[in-house]
Amino acid sequence: MEDQNQNPEMPGNQERGSSGQSLGVASLITAIITFVLAVIPCVGLMAVIPGIITIVLASVGLSRSSGNDSRRGLLVAGLVIGIVATLISISQIYVAGEIFRKSGKWPTKIEKMVDEIQKEIDKAIEEASVDIRIENGDNNADISPASGKTARERTLEELETGKSSLSDTLSSP
Amino acid sequence: MEAEPREKAVQTEPYLVINMALALVIALILLYSLVFSPAGDNYPIPCIHEKISGEKCPSCGISHSFSLIARGRINEAYSWNSRGMSVFIFFAAQLILRISFSRSYLKNPDSRRELVLTDITGSILMFLTAFMPFIVFLVRML
Repeated sequence: MEDQNQNPEMPGNQERGSSGQSLGVASLITAIITFVLAVIPCVGLMAVIPGIITIVLASVGLSRSSGNDSRRGLLVAGLVIGIVATLISISQIYVAGEIFRKSGKWPTKIEKMVDEIQKEIDKAIEEASVDIRIENGDNNADISPASGKTARERTLEELETGKSSLSDTLSSP
Repeated sequence: MEAEPREKAVQTEPYLVINMALALVIALILLYSLVFSPAGDNYPIPCIHEKISGEKCPSCGISHSFSLIARGRINEAYSWNSRGMSVFIFFAAQLILRISFSRSYLKNPDSRRELVLTDITGSILMFLTAFMPFIVFLVRML
């Protein structure tokens, strides 16, 4: 029995060897295709499926061709390339997640930039020299503050309390 | 007289079977480039990366690029994907190499081992040259 299992020339072993060779060829072809697919980022994720098929084919072939070393080369090559291709394909999932994570951060950065610009614009408007004209019926008041928000606020306060500084012009018809 | 052993060799030699299968797959890829037109924009394979992350990846637009190269519109192909040309040349060269190596394998039974080794080495180098931008992208992201 032992001799029959070891001898590749025996009819049973020849049949097993031929099926092992067919599986080896099939696994190597799918492994090469999977490897090429796995490296392309657009379709790399899809390569997981043929990768698993490759590993299954090679594993089945290796278990069938145990004892027949001459046909194991194709199966081992198919298995190794298949495993590497599947790992590359799985890593594409991580890469996609990484891109997604980064793309989630970019709008936040843009929002921060917009906020900073908005604040600068507000500050510039507040500090700008602005002439104010108040009309109440027949009474008109022109306020020409020296500059800035604080100066305008002071002038308005003085107007409310009835005092006015020299730099302001208050005219009534 | 010679046809029968040659047919038998094609059926039994794993190298020839693998070569024929890969040539068929590459021919299908080239046919895909011819069937789907850039004008119609009817490509059935979407970019999964773009679907997941919303960001374009280095292989986006490669189908468009292939179709345009197959139609001789090289400048437009470059604008869709600059790496499309090198990948297309890789596939086209592999199709020619599969056929020519198979012929050499049948014609020179004494130097089969050297032929297979040359094929494996050459194909790996060609693959690395054509797909290097994608490999670099993958390594950078990991």
